[in-house]
Amino acid sequence: MLTLQKLTRASVVLTFPALCLLLLVFAIPIVQLFFNSINAPALSLVNYVTFFVHPANVRVLIQTIEVSIVATVICAIIGYPTAYLITAASKQVRSVLVILVLIPYLTSSLARTYAWVMILGDRGLINNLLLDLRVITSPLPLIYNRMAMYIGMVHIMLPIMILPLVSVMLGIDKSQVAAARSMGARPFSAFWRVFLPLSLPGLRSGALLVFILSLGFYITPAALGGLRDAMLSTFIAAEVQSSFNLGRIGAASFILLAIAMTVLAVLRLNPAGPKGNAASDRRNRFPAAGALVRHLTELGTLRRARRWNMHLYRAGDATHVWRFIGITVVIFTLLFLLFPGVVVIIVSFSAGTQLEFPPSGFSVQWYRSFFADPSWNRAALSSFEIAISVTIISTILGTLAAYGLSRSAPMLRNVLTLVLLAPITFPVIVVGIAAYLGLVSFGLVGSKTGIVLAHSIGAMSYVVVVVAATLANFDTSLEQAAKSMRAGPFRTFMRVTLPLIRPGILGGAVFAFLHSFDEVVISLLVSGLSIRTLPLKMWENIRHEIDPTVAAVASLLMLLPVLWLVAMYFIWWRSRSRMQAASARMLAAV
Amino acid sequence: MNAPVRTLHPLAKDRPLEKLALSEQIEFRNVTKLYSQVTAVRSLSLTVGRGEFLTILGPSGSGKTTTLMLLAGFEAPTEGDIRIAGKSVASVPSYRRDQGVVFQSYALFPHLTVRRNLEFPLEMRGIRSAERAARAERILSRVHLDGLGDRMPSQLSGGQQQRVALARALIADPPILLLDEPLGALDRNLREQMQGEIKGLHKEFGITTVCVTHDQEEALTLSDRIVVMNAGRIEQTDTPEALYDRPVSRFVANFLGDANILDDPSFAVESDTPQPDGTVAMIRPERIRISAPGATKSADADQRQHVAGTVTDMIYAGPLRRYHVAVGDNDVVIREHVAAGRQIFQIGDTIQLDWLRSDIRFVTT
Ligand SMILES: Nc1ncnc2c1ncn2[C@@H]1O[C@H](COP(=O)(O)OP(=O)(O)OP(=O)(O)O)[C@@H](O)[C@H]1O
Ligand SMILES: [Mg+2]
Repeated sequence: MLTLQKLTRASVVLTFPALCLLLLVFAIPIVQLFFNSINAPALSLVNYVTFFVHPANVRVLIQTIEVSIVATVICAIIGYPTAYLITAASKQVRSVLVILVLIPYLTSSLARTYAWVMILGDRGLINNLLLDLRVITSPLPLIYNRMAMYIGMVHIMLPIMILPLVSVMLGIDKSQVAAARSMGARPFSAFWRVFLPLSLPGLRSGALLVFILSLGFYITPAALGGLRDAMLSTFIAAEVQSSFNLGRIGAASFILLAIAMTVLAVLRLNPAGPKGNAASDRRNRFPAAGALVRHLTELGTLRRARRWNMHLYRAGDATHVWRFIGITVVIFTLLFLLFPGVVVIIVSFSAGTQLEFPPSGFSVQWYRSFFADPSWNRAALSSFEIAISVTIISTILGTLAAYGLSRSAPMLRNVLTLVLLAPITFPVIVVGIAAYLGLVSFGLVGSKTGIVLAHSIGAMSYVVVVVAATLANFDTSLEQAAKSMRAGPFRTFMRVTLPLIRPGILGGAVFAFLHSFDEVVISLLVSGLSIRTLPLKMWENIRHEIDPTVAAVASLLMLLPVLWLVAMYFIWWRSRSRMQAASARMLAAV
Repeated sequence: MNAPVRTLHPLAKDRPLEKLALSEQIEFRNVTKLYSQVTAVRSLSLTVGRGEFLTILGPSGSGKTTTLMLLAGFEAPTEGDIRIAGKSVASVPSYRRDQGVVFQSYALFPHLTVRRNLEFPLEMRGIRSAERAARAERILSRVHLDGLGDRMPSQLSGGQQQRVALARALIADPPILLLDEPLGALDRNLREQMQGEIKGLHKEFGITTVCVTHDQEEALTLSDRIVVMNAGRIEQTDTPEALYDRPVSRFVANFLGDANILDDPSFAVESDTPQPDGTVAMIRPERIRISAPGATKSADADQRQHVAGTVTDMIYAGPLRRYHVAVGDNDVVIREHVAAGRQIFQIGDTIQLDWLRSDIRFVTT
């Protein structure tokens, strides 16, 4: 009785609903999958041996790692200077630039992948243009090769590299660079010796996010890569479709997982800080999530009045040249990020029976066909239904969990956070397989409920990340104040905590919605072909080039992030300005 | 600020002034608070009388905030017991303790207007909205914030926010008021003004108040009694005068004001009372007179100790002059008001010091 009372008073119970869902849909199946992979209880490594014995498998494995490394390096090479130039811009320009990077980030990656099919395809933009100009007589093989795959992957992941970099660079104390300059360091060595080391945490977070996502990438390689460019996730998916041998699937999944976790463990080691540095230790414990938090808070940071000193790279006679180069780099990166979207939107208004660029005439026929076709309508409706249910479930469970975590002991908090974020740190194909196994045991495969549950675990992770970041800035003395005024725990939460963390909760809800609404891989595995969500139907069309209506759908999906950004701007900015005014007053008073 | 209005708060009238300070309201019995590794508060025992203004004073990290948080119920003691009005509050959560708390950061709810902030404690007590509004209006005018009820806290200055925080803590008329460094964030002028305000409100409401500060001037101005804490322990509890005049330890003597410690063993201190073991002699700078050697002695010369010394430093600080004088191995500080006709000594001058033997205090080391 007493222990029960104590337990209900402990904040950690608030994480239980979230953990329960995670356990049933994700954690138990993962363990089950692991046991399958070692043929438990026989404890044999035969599945792993079989994997490595086939040279084809080893080739896929090496290729997966190679592709991930190359994609990460390209993202870093393009992303670092871009992020640097974004930070160096004036406040207004910077806000615009960050939003231009955020738009593709929030856009359905399926729609963006499709854009590259439109550009690189045999009847795509480039080939059409070259044919028209009579430079070539037959289409160049631009698509379905390694090059196309890299272009698509870098396009998808560049924002994920740039955003954490920008937020770390904005946080760098410019006076340190100025100090180095004042001590006689040339601009270049001031950058090399001071700025670069300080910005490394951002580079590390960005690289880690890109690398881990690349490892589990499925859609883009499958849509743009050639037959020989299979990634491990393609391999696993094929295995699922052909044989469904759980032992082999398990072995491949755990090999993929092992690589991801190894890289995570290695990269999160802080080369600068020995063990003693507890604070930075904690921050680096989960760099992927940390980066996410940081670039979410970046949304608010946009308004931070930190005027980065231009003279950092404006030194000497080279001013104009450097300025020109800088502007060119930024413009090229943004073109690369945004142009494909523009192409899709233009193409979607094609008049002929085929999609073409440039369109020979203007028509809204594909939009009409989208709104008239019941199968598209059903798909869109299912997607909305599922995404809304996911948003509700994951926002409630995720918020409770984040609140419980923020009020628990640090040790417990760290461990549970790691567990709760697993669905967005594990390669998505592994999450999909686990969810499939979990749903099988409840007979929910191929049902909407099943898809909702499978989406909710990842969506919940996003909510936890965003709400936890908001709670980290929450002044706990406000809760104490409420309690000293006779508000019990529940009323304190409802009247004080909840209204103040609402922006974080709404932000988390937006991410939860997007996660579900754009999700393809997990849906592919758990839908059992009986339910079609919008992304699933799009995916089918992209792969088999059946119906040009997909261009109209992709264009409509591109509108969505703009709507979200407007919503988030209102949610975050309004609360920001209020808080900012308060803290400014405080500072003025001191 | 205006002198505090002497009319009694309508809700305080059932607590007549003559009854104040008669019985004890708060009692700490051997309270210890351990954080994972740190002992923040060490077997602390303390009583606070009804209507008393008690200040907890001490250097940073001495456990002041922890003591207050224990009393407010935001932390639970590791050992010992806290009693309020004779009853142990060990199992009473903070939201049933009926205390007004003013936080150092004010902790005004940023999403509520000033008025809604003030009405919050009344609302939690289930008071009807008409009465809430009336009481909010009354207390707003009491803290001179008429007309600011519809502002958001962020639209107020630091001093105004402070007043709202005070008003919010007092509006439900709790029997106990807790203040954590209430004036820490204010500038000097505002701080003095608010000291007067707090003192006035305390008198008017007759509320038992425990205030935490590390500002000795604030403590001396406001308090009926002061508790000096050091490293989680109470060094001394006394009235401001007694604390300054008769510090028990070297720590207290140094913490409140300047103290000359005469611990050169070769120097014999004359005193009316014998020196207890484990103590050193201490005298306040303003109790020492400085004069040229061989100057005419005053009438009470037989009650004074006269010593010779050498001026090692002279600092001119506004209305005061500070001398450092070497007397044996002791570095003695003297403060003297600048007045016409006073002789000014220079560094290196040999001079004579004298003080009343009764002004010597013995403090533990
Ligand atoms: N939540 C906590 N966890 C661990 N140690 C704590 C915690 N709160 C306080 N301490 C430690 O307890 C000791 C006393 O802290 P406390 O906050 O009571 O000091 P204080 O007298 O209020 O100091 P200040 O004047 O700086 O506010 C300090 O050593 C502090 O580090
Ligand atoms: Mg304190």
